[in-house]
Amino acid sequence: MDNLGWGLQMTALGMGLVFGLLALLWGLLTLMLRFDTPHPERSAVAPSETVPEAPLDPALVAAISVAVLAHNAQRRAEAAPGMRIHWPGSLLHASRWVAAGRARQNHSWQRGRR
Amino acid sequence: MEDRDSPAPTNAHLETLRELRARAVQGGGARRIEQQHARGRLTARERLDALLDAGSFQELGALATHSVSDFGLADQRFPGDGVVTGFGKVNGRRVAVFAHDFTVLGGSFSEVQSRKITRIQHLALESGIPLIGLNDSGGARIQEGVRSLAAYGEVFVRNVMASGVIPQISLILGPCAGGAVYSPALTDFVIMAQGASMFLTGPDVVRAITGEAVSAEDLGGTGVHMARSGVAHLEAPTDIAALDLAKRLLGYLPQNNSEDPPPIVPYDPADRSDTALDTLIPDVEQHTYDMHEVIERVFDRGSFLELQSAFAPNALVGFARLDGFSVGIVANQPAHMAGALDLDASDKIARFIRICDAYNIPVVTFVDCPGFLPGVDQEYRGVIRHGAKIIYAYCEATVPKISIVTRKAMGGAYVAMSSKQMRTDLAFAWPTAQIAVMGAEPAVRVLYRSEVKEASDPAAKERELVAYYRDKFFNPYRAADVGQIDEVIEPHETRPRLVRALELLRTKVLQNPPKKHGLIPS
Repeated sequence: MDNLGWGLQMTALGMGLVFGLLALLWGLLTLMLRFDTPHPERSAVAPSETVPEAPLDPALVAAISVAVLAHNAQRRAEAAPGMRIHWPGSLLHASRWVAAGRARQNHSWQRGRR
Repeated sequence: MEDRDSPAPTNAHLETLRELRARAVQGGGARRIEQQHARGRLTARERLDALLDAGSFQELGALATHSVSDFGLADQRFPGDGVVTGFGKVNGRRVAVFAHDFTVLGGSFSEVQSRKITRIQHLALESGIPLIGLNDSGGARIQEGVRSLAAYGEVFVRNVMASGVIPQISLILGPCAGGAVYSPALTDFVIMAQGASMFLTGPDVVRAITGEAVSAEDLGGTGVHMARSGVAHLEAPTDIAALDLAKRLLGYLPQNNSEDPPPIVPYDPADRSDTALDTLIPDVEQHTYDMHEVIERVFDRGSFLELQSAFAPNALVGFARLDGFSVGIVANQPAHMAGALDLDASDKIARFIRICDAYNIPVVTFVDCPGFLPGVDQEYRGVIRHGAKIIYAYCEATVPKISIVTRKAMGGAYVAMSSKQMRTDLAFAWPTAQIAVMGAEPAVRVLYRSEVKEASDPAAKERELVAYYRDKFFNPYRAADVGQIDEVIEPHETRPRLVRALELLRTKVLQNPPKKHGLIPS
């Protein structure tokens, strides 16, 4: 009977500690959220500060667009990273059939021979 | 882990190294660099900066100097000895590079230069990565005597060993004279910048020996090598433009002969049909059209990089992309000499096919060829052996090969231009194709000589027979009937058909009989 009482005490203590810590964490998170939430007055003012006073010059936008397109075209022509499907010589995309065939095709060549 | 026994480097040691490195970077000095800029040229290091990805260059041999003391060379020692060598990356791809430094003794080729260049040639071949050479050298360093000549041989042998194994690209960005010209000539591609020159013997020697007065530009400028000699494959107005061309060219090539060129993300629909192709071939046989238009409409937009554009313009060769994959294009150009094959066109085509075959790039051939160019001059100069090179190259090639006959495919030229019997994988023809042994008029003269002669109106009879011959033979259907053409397709179907055909052939493997090497007619 003593053991049962001691067991119940320990259960209550353990559960109390766990729930207590959880409640403490909940409180901390709520507090942090309150600090992290933007102030309604500030957030109402902030966008108006970042809005440009005058719209972008259409000619400038066109020039930027052309420059971006030209840059992309050049990178594509050079098969630059981001434009190519895989890295040159990637083994992930190699066909075993082709790899074995190429090995046979090049068999007469030996590296290091002069 | 730190080695406690060895002394820690002192500031003095570091200072010495930094001073030597700074001297190496200065090349021939500020005054020489200014002179180089005044000529409108970049220095070796500026060129490498423009070519390679930022921060990727790893230099080797920056502190090497010569040990010659003759002719006052003892006082002219510069770290690096007139060539910058090392490794770097172009669009993330590893490459080996060397760049002659014209500010150091005119970039003259020395024994030390040879050691530096052969070192990276060797490492490039071992690593299976492309080699790019930026040439700007006055030629052999005369003060070193025969040692500088022997040095050339060391480079040549490695050029040849690397040939067909790793792509080798030479840029001629200044003078390239004497024995120095053979190293670029042994590489796969030569790109020349305006103002650069290549010749075995310079204008002064030519004048002394033959009495001919000629400028360096007229003897070996870009115009000469792009249009007449065929030595150069591409030209550019400036150093920077030449370096950009090298980067673009590299985009079509693999790292080595065991790998495939890098495919790019497709940006042009694979099933795009261009109906303008259906009306591109003129109804009148004597009228021409531009084969460039066919290529531009079939392959990925703006992807065609033509090589040797001004040399033998009756044939077109170059790289393009089809659904993002690199392909080699060979075509007759009916807008020039009716697309007939002559000596130069034969050399141009044969060389290009072998490049594609070496680097696993499929070959697509567009045929509109009335035959080999007839004439005493062509026969005397060996059109037979030159024409045989095309046949040799097509027969030898093991990469996927597809041909499309757009109009004329006559006689020997039909056979030579990727005919199905020469191991072409797929042979297509447009309905406008004319596949025959010879043209209608000469065929009628041979076949119906007596009938025409005995007719009451020979001219009318000949016209009648010519019309009959045309009707019977000037179409693709007889060739399709006997299986020499796999499929007659509508011109607007060409792109989707080619995409599917190359998809099918992507894993093609074919092996030639073991041999030391073949004997291509030369």
